[in-house]
Amino acid sequence: MFKDLDPILHSQLRLAIVSLLISVKEAEFTFLKEKTNATAGNISVQINKLKEAGYIDVIKQFKENYPQTICKITPAGIKAFELYVKNLHSYLSIDVNAKLNVKK
Amino acid sequence: MEEKKQLTSEESLQLIQQMIQIAKQEQKDDGKGWILWGWLLFAASVFTFINVRLRWVSTYFFWNAFGIVTICFLIYGTGRYFFSKKTKGTKTYTGDLLHKLNIGFCISIIFITVAINIGILSPMVAFPLLVNIYGFRILIHGATLNFKPFVVGAYVAWLFGLIGLFVKTFDWIMLTHAAAVLCGYIIPGHIANNEFKKTKPMTFNTNIFSV
Repeated sequence: MFKDLDPILHSQLRLAIVSLLISVKEAEFTFLKEKTNATAGNISVQINKLKEAGYIDVIKQFKENYPQTICKITPAGIKAFELYVKNLHSYLSIDVNAKLNVKK
Repeated sequence: MEEKKQLTSEESLQLIQQMIQIAKQEQKDDGKGWILWGWLLFAASVFTFINVRLRWVSTYFFWNAFGIVTICFLIYGTGRYFFSKKTKGTKTYTGDLLHKLNIGFCISIIFITVAINIGILSPMVAFPLLVNIYGFRILIHGATLNFKPFVVGAYVAWLFGLIGLFVKTFDWIMLTHAAAVLCGYIIPGHIANNEFKKTKPMTFNTNIFSV
């Protein structure tokens, strides 16, 4: 069945952040920034959106007098990500079927 | 990475795959620890073998030297753990598991080392037992990271440990120990290190969407 994709996840940077966090236990803000090639401002905004949606937990702390932001995916985030991938698959199978029909 | 970009379903899947690949790279072992400890253990065993035959110094001189080096590394490692400002950036479940495995391994090694030093365990039995513990750690490490050379190395190390149980003289026990360390630590460690050097650090590649 054709389902709507989660608008929170269906954005390049937010999807990248969640895909990184799904594979690790937790990641620092600097790691996410470095691996996504995003600016600090942009990534901050997207992290806040994910946090507001309840998909990630953000822990702000100090380490050796330096601020440290740690992000973790929540169970709700894992569930949303799994559903997003499942829906993507249904989209893809529809795309493939449509292409096959055109070729016929 | 720009935020406004609207993704197609293929692009989304590609993005997910690429990010998971990047995260997986964080879990790769550079093999340096295995190489360092492997060569130290190997040198201590081989020099002890030669020493037993040629009688340069007391029998356990090279193992005592190894012990001193280990204590120095422990002090350095503890200091680095508590005082280093540098962080890895991520914590992985695999990393946590391997960290706990290392703690368990070190405690087991300390148990046997103490037993040898207070004289309740003969080195003739202790070294094959040590190899047995090496094998266990190497196998779990290799299986967790899905790195075959460590898995194979673990079985070969166990084989040498088993041979060690039937060896009658201490010098040959040292050689079986050296062979176990060579196959379980050094060779897989160097293979891991070479593979690690080959993999370039990945960041998000926006070109995947330009096709």
